[in-house]
Parts: sequence; C-alpha cells; structure tokens
Amino acid sequence: MNTLVYKQPISERQRGVGFSLLLGFLLSSLIATNVGAAEKIPRLKGKPDFSGIWQTTSAADYDLEPHSPRIDAPPGPGVVEGGEIPYLPQALAQRKKNFENRHTADPRLKGWTLGVPRGIYYPEPFQIFQRARDITILHQFGHSVRTIHTNNTRHPEDPNDWWLGDSRGKWDGDTLVVDVKHFNDETWLDRSGNYHSDALHVVERWKFLDANTLEYKATISDKKVFSRPWDIRVILHRHREKNFQLVEDYRYTLDYDQYYPYPAERAPAASQQATAPVKK
Amino acid sequence: MNIQRNILTKYLSGGLLGLLIALPAVSSTQEFTAEREKYPKFEREKTVYKVAPGKWKGARLEDGQPDVQGQWSNTISNHTNFTDPQGATPGEKPRTPLGPRSERAPSRVIDPVDGQIPFQPWARALQQEYLKNFSDPIKPEYVEPLARCAPGGPSKSFMWHGYEIRQYPGYVLFLFDSGSRLIQVSDKKNLEKKPHLNQKIKLWNGDSRGYWEGNTLVVEVKNNNSKSRFGRTGEFSGTETSIQERFIFDNNGERYSYQATYTDPTVFTRPWTLEIPARRVEKFAEDGWNNQLAIAQHDGKELILEAYEQICTENNGGFGGGAVIGGASAAIH
Repeated sequence: MNTLVYKQPISERQRGVGFSLLLGFLLSSLIATNVGAAEKIPRLKGKPDFSGIWQTTSAADYDLEPHSPRIDAPPGPGVVEGGEIPYLPQALAQRKKNFENRHTADPRLKGWTLGVPRGIYYPEPFQIFQRARDITILHQFGHSVRTIHTNNTRHPEDPNDWWLGDSRGKWDGDTLVVDVKHFNDETWLDRSGNYHSDALHVVERWKFLDANTLEYKATISDKKVFSRPWDIRVILHRHREKNFQLVEDYRYTLDYDQYYPYPAERAPAASQQATAPVKK
Repeated sequence: MNIQRNILTKYLSGGLLGLLIALPAVSSTQEFTAEREKYPKFEREKTVYKVAPGKWKGARLEDGQPDVQGQWSNTISNHTNFTDPQGATPGEKPRTPLGPRSERAPSRVIDPVDGQIPFQPWARALQQEYLKNFSDPIKPEYVEPLARCAPGGPSKSFMWHGYEIRQYPGYVLFLFDSGSRLIQVSDKKNLEKKPHLNQKIKLWNGDSRGYWEGNTLVVEVKNNNSKSRFGRTGEFSGTETSIQERFIFDNNGERYSYQATYTDPTVFTRPWTLEIPARRVEKFAEDGWNNQLAIAQHDGKELILEAYEQICTENNGGFGGGAVIGGASAAIH
C-alpha cells in the first residue's frame, strides 16, 4: 500500500482520495468476509439454527478439572476456567468421597438422566431440534428429553425438583442464553465425582463458531457447594457421517431385559419342538 | 399448543381493556387458571372414532408435512386389557362392576375380525401363563416391563399417558411418559436413501422410517426388540417383528387413528392389525393422565400450556429404581 502511494508524484488531495478508496475497499472486503461468514451459519426465522446431531471431543466428562491419565480416564487439560472448581470446604470433602466411590456411585452407571450441563459434554451424540417457540435436546438416553423454552415464558414459580431443571432461553444477538434452575441433587457433573446440590443454577451460552461447530459455555452456581460461580467451555462438533443417527440407549433396562419378550430357553425354536406343528 | 383466548375481543366491549393492561403479571396467571377451569373433562369413549385415509386439507409445516403437533391421548383405555380395553385384567377385580361385553369398547385387534391376536399355540400358552402370573409375579418375566419404566414400545406407548408430537423438517418426534421415539420422514420415493439400522441392533422403540401419504403418516418399524408387552394381559411379539404403522389424521385436526400391522412368523400364524384412536387434549381439563400440562408464566395475553419433565425410572424408587441398581449396569463403561 505504501509503495503504491509514495512511488507516484501525486497531490495530497489525490493521495487522500486514493487512500480513502483503498481503505474503503479494504474495509468493505473485510465486512463482506464477515457477512459471508455470518451468512454461512444455518438460520431459522433469523436466529441461528442449532438443529443437528452434536458431540464433544473433549475429555470433560471424565473430569472437568485438569487431570493426569488414570486407570479409568484419559488425561485432559480441563474445561474449567482457571483450572479449579471453587468448592466450599465441606463440599470438597464430599467431592473426594464421590471420587473414591466413583465406580459404583456415579448415576451414569445406572443409565440415569445425566442432568445439565453434563448431558452436553457426555461423550455420546445428542440431537437438537429447533422451533421458534422452543429448542428440544434429545439424548440417546431416550427418556432424557430437555426443552429450552424460547417463547418469553418464565420459570415456574413453584420450587420444582427436576433431573434436567427448567430451561428458559433468550437470544442475545446470535448467542442463545439459557437460564436453568429447579434441579434436584441427584446428578453429578462428571464421572470423577464433581457434584452439585438442588441449589444448582446454570447459565448457558450457545453460539456457532462456524456452521459445523458450536461453542458451549456454562456458568455454574450453587451456594450450598461452591464459594463462587465458575465457568466451563467446550466445543461441540456436528456429526456429518452419512446416515448418522441417534441410537436409543435405555441401558437402565439391561438388568432385566433378558427376561423379555421371554427368557432365551423359551424362545420359539425350543418351544415349537415341544408343541404340535403350527398351522400356517 | 398456544391457545388463543381472544381476551382482547372479550374485554374491549366491556371497556375494561385499560384495566386489564394495568394488571400485574400475577393476574394474568389467575385469568389463565380461571379460563382453563372451564375446560371439560377428558372422557373415555365406548366407540372407536373412525378416520378414513384421504387428502390432507389442514395446516402444513414449511417442509410440507401436515402439522399435527401438540398433545394427544387415546380415547379408550390404558393397557389394562388389550383385547377388552374397558374390561378389567382377567383375575383382577374391576374397579366398577362390568356390564355385558357389548357395552364396552371393542377389541383393539381389528384384523382378524374375531379381535384376537393369531398366536401360534406355544405363544398363546405363554401369553396365558404371563396373564395368570401378572398380579403375583414369582419370576422376573412375569413383571410387566412398563412397571419398571421400560419404554412402552411402538404401540403400547399410545395407550398409556397422554403424549406430545413435535415435528421438524424430516422428523416426527414423540415424547412419551416413558421415553421418546423419533421417526425419520422423507418422500416415499426417497425412503431407500434412509436405510434402517443394521438388523443386529434391536431397540425398545425400534427404528422408524416414514412418509406422508395425504392425511396418513406411514411408518415402517424395524429393529424391534419386542420386549414390551401389549397389555397387562401378557400379549407379546417376537424379535423378528416388523411393523407397518399408519397414523391417519382427521381433517378436523382433533382426532387420529393409529393402526399397526404386526408381522412375525416366529410368533403369529399370520399378520394382524391393531387400532388405537386418539384425540387432542389441550382443550380438556388437566387430569394428571391424558392432559398433564401446566400453565406457562408470562406477561402475554394468551394462555400457553407447557409440558414438564417426564422421567420415570429415576423417580420410581420402589419399582425400577430398586430393580436396576448394581448387576449388569455396574459393569457398563
């Protein structure tokens, strides 16, 4: 740019015009590039459309905090801003107890609803369905269906005690901000025993980084367990494999599903041998 | 699901509009509650409302699907007795004395015409055994899986609590009291582009592919684990089961007929078809069963009803919760 300006003996005015044109051109191309990027994200009635199947590649569910490898977890740099969850002293003792008992006490082992935010960074796919009035998050644990209401409604007034809490979302530009409360104290935050009470309050911020990548941030507060609010951040990737789909996972039925529709020894082949030929 | 109360029209003539606007939000909630209390009770019907396949003249979604979103429930009965839906489970005392069979709703089995599932003899004997032992289960297989919060499966889910239909481009999503089910929808000519999962995979709700034909959603359900029972009367299907479902929606937007044809040569002597009639429940009273909707809190002037979280097994301590702790689940990664 400087070469172009100073090699030519031009008047100050001409130089000014030339500079302005060049600046204008550069600015407009910059804006055009940004607009182009913004247009590339899918939209529904003007808002970003998060519809799709998503999954994190992070090790967040093994342990939200930075951790070295151990027998039941790959290493991970952690997803907690600042690196440490600010437990109250008494709560830290409970968290350590949870860690020691994690192979039996983690609610995930029963196939139970993982809660918020854990369901988002649990290392399995989940699907987002979007309408103007709400966003539905369907997990492979098919009984864990979360609705984020985006229709200007408020949390119910009564104190409720839900596995997934009550989610109310608002758009802040292209970011979906979701306020989630009315939780129970039954879910964990990861498989290392990080936990919360029924005073959990989560504020999520969802936005596109590009058409196939979401940034998910959550501010987690719980005055019974943490000394201050703390933040996590994970990236979610869109599944683009051909014919990729969710596969329902009702693993809480595994302990008894062998008995249905009938135990193996009563399967048709065995039964038919013991009965008269079947009329077709 | 938003129900317009047309409150402006209602109060404009009375000159009360200014007062209404000045009211705080809490009054809105009271108004909504009062309005909703006028809704009639959802009553069981003794006859099956018939809907014929044909053209769809109602609203459509942007992708062309007929818009059938909302809250629905079956009009006849729950799963107490599959072939005599308003009768008691045999061997159990009815809640109210039963009159003659002709005064109750017909069998859900519409083909064959005798209203009975065409079981092979061994399967009929097993069904009778399940029925006999249901009320006092001495073996695990005698416990009705839905009592343990297992998913109801493709057909049973439609004769349990009320449920919601949500639709999206390429999908119909059912949210049940016990689990959910996603149907992938495409044009009939494009069905083969969305193949079913490998048949090694067996699922409580199967794997569903569907297309719209006029007012009818036609769905092929494969990958069925067939672990759910049709009723507390013990009827069941097998692991080779394929199901063709037809959801036939009335152009009045209020009713639909669910029909499902079951084929499984390992259990039945021939394919057979069941029918479950359903209707919308939003404009009926909240009854904790068919309509479990709550009034949404907001400052607007329309009554908005919303469904709260429906999670069964985790809240079912004495049944499913107690039954699934430890055992196989402890070995899961």
